[in-house]
Amino acid sequence: MSPTQFERAAEATPPILAKKIRGLSDRAIAWIFVAPTIFLLLAINIFPLIWTIRLSFTNFRVNRPNAEVQFVGLDNYRRILSDADIWLTMQTTAHFLIWTIVLQVLIGFSLAYLINKKFRGNDLWTTIIVFPMMLSPAVVGNFWTFLYQPQIGLFNYVVGFLTHTDPSSFSMIGDVNLAPWAIVIVDTWMWTPFVMLICLAGLRSIPGSIYEAAECDRASKWRQFWTITLPMVLPFLMLAVLFRGIENFKMFDLVVQLTGGGPGSITELTSINLKREAFEKWRTGYSSAYAVILFVTVFGLASIYVKALNKVKER
Amino acid sequence: MAEVILKNITKKFGEAAALDNVTMIIPNGSFVVLLGPTGAGKTTTLRMVSGLDKPDTGDVLIGGQSVAGLAPAQRNVAMVFQQYSLYPHLTVRENLAFPLKSPLLKTPAAEIERKIKEVSEVLQISHKLDNKATALSGGEMQRVSIGRALVRNPTIFLMDEPLSSLDAKLRADLRIELKRIQAKSGATLLYVTHDQIEAMTMATHVGVLEQGKLVQFGSPREIYENPVSIYSASRLGQPRINLLPASVFGGAPNRACQIGLRPEQIVQGEGEESFVKRVEHLGDQTRLHLSFKNHNLITVTDAHTKLTEGDIVRIRPERPFYFDDAGMRVA
Repeated sequence: MSPTQFERAAEATPPILAKKIRGLSDRAIAWIFVAPTIFLLLAINIFPLIWTIRLSFTNFRVNRPNAEVQFVGLDNYRRILSDADIWLTMQTTAHFLIWTIVLQVLIGFSLAYLINKKFRGNDLWTTIIVFPMMLSPAVVGNFWTFLYQPQIGLFNYVVGFLTHTDPSSFSMIGDVNLAPWAIVIVDTWMWTPFVMLICLAGLRSIPGSIYEAAECDRASKWRQFWTITLPMVLPFLMLAVLFRGIENFKMFDLVVQLTGGGPGSITELTSINLKREAFEKWRTGYSSAYAVILFVTVFGLASIYVKALNKVKER
Repeated sequence: MAEVILKNITKKFGEAAALDNVTMIIPNGSFVVLLGPTGAGKTTTLRMVSGLDKPDTGDVLIGGQSVAGLAPAQRNVAMVFQQYSLYPHLTVRENLAFPLKSPLLKTPAAEIERKIKEVSEVLQISHKLDNKATALSGGEMQRVSIGRALVRNPTIFLMDEPLSSLDAKLRADLRIELKRIQAKSGATLLYVTHDQIEAMTMATHVGVLEQGKLVQFGSPREIYENPVSIYSASRLGQPRINLLPASVFGGAPNRACQIGLRPEQIVQGEGEESFVKRVEHLGDQTRLHLSFKNHNLITVTDAHTKLTEGDIVRIRPERPFYFDDAGMRVA
């Protein structure tokens, strides 16, 4: 009988190394392999999380390292949850989150559906459509401030042209009523391609023969869409929503560049608000509690959502 | 149910002709089996009738009407796909109900339930009705795929190797079931297979396809007993027809190049000597591998034969087939 792969591997191991390894159990070797990753995970993720939770019960301020730190119990949490301004930023975030997801899913799925039809140059179109998401959010935010410029901005010009109004009669960024929509539009412009790509992957995963079977089973195109296309793309679509939801809950760079949270604090999303509390007002203990609340919210919503997603996948 | 006619159908994929001027009449209530190796154009023929592909030239008539411009749904054909093509996100029950729920049919719920019950019993999948279509074995998927066609009452059933991935016993059962259903309901079937037992036992007509051409069309007996060419003769018969140079036995006609001998065309115990190379006992029959003037032959003999390797058997051809140098039948 020829030697097995293990025996050959054992023969190929240099004697000195073999001697060292021989003393270790399989379990020990496994630990050696995963230890670096676990160490990094503890150092970068778990420790800061625990430290944040600890700080959230104190009145610690990082710009006053010598001041005495007092434990204040649940005081920080109580203050945050009863603060009307914070509830306002929560609402702003919810508005931003819901509308970006709705628009991106609708437009992204429609684009994917169209691109999936075989036509000349659809690869080129895919590439062109995908451009916005390849840009840096800071750059996008910066450029859209120019596009939204009332006098010379392209966006205002096009809207003015289409609605026969004066382009300088409105300011997307400066107007309290328009600013929440200004950030929704830019985020949708930038991230719809991402949703489209995921939907496209879903659409391409449906074998053509299933449509042929449906065709023979006398299902109309409309029925094929509702009974085959949509249910089979749904898990992909939900995944896209999960990604976009998490991303937009912590949205920062794009909006800071675009509106800086203004006018006033109309577009101040929770992450921007949190950054102000932590690194402008230096209320470290307070903002730690704030961060923990956000963490629990996102984590809770995401786990409920992932459960739903798995149910859809099983179906 | 209706008569289906293919008229001078040609279909090319790029340079290669998948179908080359095929004309075929599928009589109402017939069970037509298409035979031929991979690439002969069997599946393409089904797709022409179903309307999933359009012919380059030629016409398909269903019940005397040209269906050239009609989509598959309008043609009312039921197709069983070789790759099953079940709806993966639906249960077996929903898969079977899918065609019945077509707005073109408006089947009442009780009728759908009755049909599903009936078909799933025939196909022995009743216990799997609430499984997802993806949670089935290959053979079960294939049966659901057949069931999805059988719940309907189409003008013609198109089946692309529907029994290929079933085990031997189930295949034998379903062969009989399909034939029974067809005989009872008077359904018209166009059926693609590699399996010659299916062809022999179920077909009322067999069409032999060779590189996109319909080379012979007739009853299974006709094809078996009166093949037009070596190709046609090789489609049916187990063990396969033996082909030898025409000159090894005397009495060959002029243009004959090869002689074709099926086991029953070889008389044992008379004629010239051959040498037994191997004896295969299959139970109900015994196969003899013979060497005759340095040519190999396989024939069938008595199940309880005393012959063993190295014995000498005399053989003589009995009304053999003769083929010319192009493989066409001369006598």
